[in-house]
Amino acid sequence: MKKLFIKSFIYSILILCILEGYIRVFHLTKDFPTRYLDENNVEKWVPNQKGIFVLGNRRENFNAYSINNSGFNSYREFTPSADNVEIALVGDSFIEGFHQQYYNSIGKKIEDLLPDVEVYEYGYAGYDLADQLHLINKYKSQFDLIDHVIIGFKFENDLTRGKYEVLKDRLNLESQFNRNIRKIKTIVYLNSIGALDVPRGFVRNFLSLFSKKGNNKVELDKTPDPAIKKQSNGLYLENFESLVNTYGFDKSRFKFLLNSEKTPTSFLKYLKSNNYKYIDYASPLSQATKPTTLIYDMHWNNRGRSIIAKVIVENYKLNLTK
Amino acid sequence: MIFNSLEFFFFLTLVFCLYWFVLNKSLKAQNILLLVASYVFYGCWDWRFLSLILLSTVVDYFIGIKIDSNNDKKIKKKWLWVSVIFNVGLLGFFKYYNFFVDSWIDMFSMFGYTIKSDWTLRVILPVGISFYTFQTMSYSFDIYYGKLKPTKKFLSFAAFVSFFPQLVAGPIERASNLLSQILNKRTFSYNQSVSGLKLILWGLFKKMVIADALAPIVDDIFANYSTYPASTLILGVTLFSFQVYGDFSGYSDIAIGTAKLFGIELMSNFKFPNFSRNVAEYWQRWHVSLSTWFRHYIYIPLGGSRVSKIKSVRNICIIFLVSGFWHGANWTFIFWGAFHALVFIPVFLMGRNTVYKNTVVAENSIFPTFTEIGQVLLTFAIVTFSRIFFRSESIIDAFNYINRIGADFTYQTYTHPLGYRMIDYYLLVILFVVYEYIIRKDERSPFKFKSRILRFFVYSIVILLMLLFFDDNVDRSFIYFQF
Repeated sequence: MKKLFIKSFIYSILILCILEGYIRVFHLTKDFPTRYLDENNVEKWVPNQKGIFVLGNRRENFNAYSINNSGFNSYREFTPSADNVEIALVGDSFIEGFHQQYYNSIGKKIEDLLPDVEVYEYGYAGYDLADQLHLINKYKSQFDLIDHVIIGFKFENDLTRGKYEVLKDRLNLESQFNRNIRKIKTIVYLNSIGALDVPRGFVRNFLSLFSKKGNNKVELDKTPDPAIKKQSNGLYLENFESLVNTYGFDKSRFKFLLNSEKTPTSFLKYLKSNNYKYIDYASPLSQATKPTTLIYDMHWNNRGRSIIAKVIVENYKLNLTK
Repeated sequence: MIFNSLEFFFFLTLVFCLYWFVLNKSLKAQNILLLVASYVFYGCWDWRFLSLILLSTVVDYFIGIKIDSNNDKKIKKKWLWVSVIFNVGLLGFFKYYNFFVDSWIDMFSMFGYTIKSDWTLRVILPVGISFYTFQTMSYSFDIYYGKLKPTKKFLSFAAFVSFFPQLVAGPIERASNLLSQILNKRTFSYNQSVSGLKLILWGLFKKMVIADALAPIVDDIFANYSTYPASTLILGVTLFSFQVYGDFSGYSDIAIGTAKLFGIELMSNFKFPNFSRNVAEYWQRWHVSLSTWFRHYIYIPLGGSRVSKIKSVRNICIIFLVSGFWHGANWTFIFWGAFHALVFIPVFLMGRNTVYKNTVVAENSIFPTFTEIGQVLLTFAIVTFSRIFFRSESIIDAFNYINRIGADFTYQTYTHPLGYRMIDYYLLVILFVVYEYIIRKDERSPFKFKSRILRFFVYSIVILLMLLFFDDNVDRSFIYFQF
């Protein structure tokens, strides 16, 4: 019996070691770029990092990223000048584009369609409007040289706060403990494929047996209460106004990039009545006959990115003709 | 609680430790533990149906004693019939009641009479009822045929009926094999436990990698068959063949492996049926415990093959129809059984039903002959074709599926419903077939390699594949639970 336990233990350790080897050799899991807070309190990636971003059990989504000198994932450096035409895309992970080869991003696709224009992608996973406007404000001299600034915007995510503050939770991902954990590729891989959700769920269920709350489980009504929705929409609008007033918003150059189907009509009306311009990609995305998002999450796939690039280019051309 | 869950892992570890560390000195205590563990295991699905298992246990326990205590053959037979009627009645009510009512109504409606369906009940099918009722019946049969003495130890008998590794989906054990082991003292064997762990690993691989990975593809093709060309429909049923094999044989391997951990040997249920050289051999390799049950308790009592050819053919037809009906209350299963009878009878009439009984393909060589390859492919094609009936929702769907293969005999590249690379799945199936071919001579030793390094390499690859095809969103229940 003792032999069985000892051998099982040794075999388990050996199997884990060899799995670590397989995962590293076949590069089954993603590399983690390092994030930091720059001198302007702007959270971004440490410049000049290269690596591979992987999604899927069998690395179905396997893309290189390249962090430029400015700390953003892009094939080019950001060198705006008064002589050239530049477009800046500011946004979250959708603009950051780790899910694509960095040389096949939305920005690159726009440049392919508009050869005389340079596109700078200031994308960073988790950025909300506070992050975006704070970035633009802190790098005002650079952004003042950029002709068009397009801000990726999601109403339900981006207006939860009315003032920029450094998000410590996100920066805690760079703690020594987290860095060490990330060095064990097996853990990273198991986490990325959802295999660790199984023990997590088990522990949660087990603990709920002992908690009083667990015994009186009440199924929550997922339907949003219209009154609460109205209240939060009001709060979001307050946050929006607060952010715009604090960090400034150049209505002649700045535009939002949004999905009107996921934005309240009242907010769209507010934008229109206050002369905030926006580019709406709802219709071209919903009309697509093939999937526009990845299998694993709702980030745009290559087809989705092409559609977004096309929408931006069409809007750009329309403005030129006006 | 299903085998491929973390709950089962902890449950098994706990029961294993109690069994060998705490209660190892008392056989009675070990059997009580097995009984309690089995009832907990089953109760996790639906504790209400524990009463059915208990009822079946009590009835057959007493019937066993009654059969044995009477010397009069007629009275013995009467008690045997009581057991059969009770168990089949139980099965009939929970599994077939609505089927008979609906079929009756449909039949009348064919003649223009409309009957209001007041008789249909909302009956829930208790998990594993087809398996444990057959197992308890085997006890009565074995006593009746004098192959077994009834036990007076009720708790041990209850542990035999409800033995959790094989309670919900077999193998359907004969009392003469399992009960005798439960009644006798078990001793811990390192080799037996290691062999059990290996079978569990292999079973998990077959279930989690082969069956679960192919399930979304098969589900998609069968759900949308009317939109796909022949090439996709053929792909769908072929992959279903592997899915159902991976699912059921995986379950059986885990059950056999788990039983080994408790010092109990269960019978083999699958012996690489995909390498069968004719349909008769296939039935000697597929769901062996059920085939054996039918052979011992229905086919042989009916005269088997020792009667005239016509009667033998009749017996074959009965066996296959009953086997089909056993699988489910649906005409699809009856057609599936009938189809197998049709393809089995020519093999039987040619006297080739037992020629491959004790051999395996490429018995004495590394590679099979061209003839063997042809035989294996033909048998696989026949069996796979029959699975259209097995998998379709209704008999109309099955015929429409077949009809569409003929009507739209074109090729079109199939894309995974979730967008994954199909090549991964094709390679997986090919790798699986090749590996099964390598280990084809011993279904109970899936990692039988002399080299320790090679063995370890295979373990690591098996575990890696389990991760590569892991999907927490897939329905992890076993196909045969519905039977």
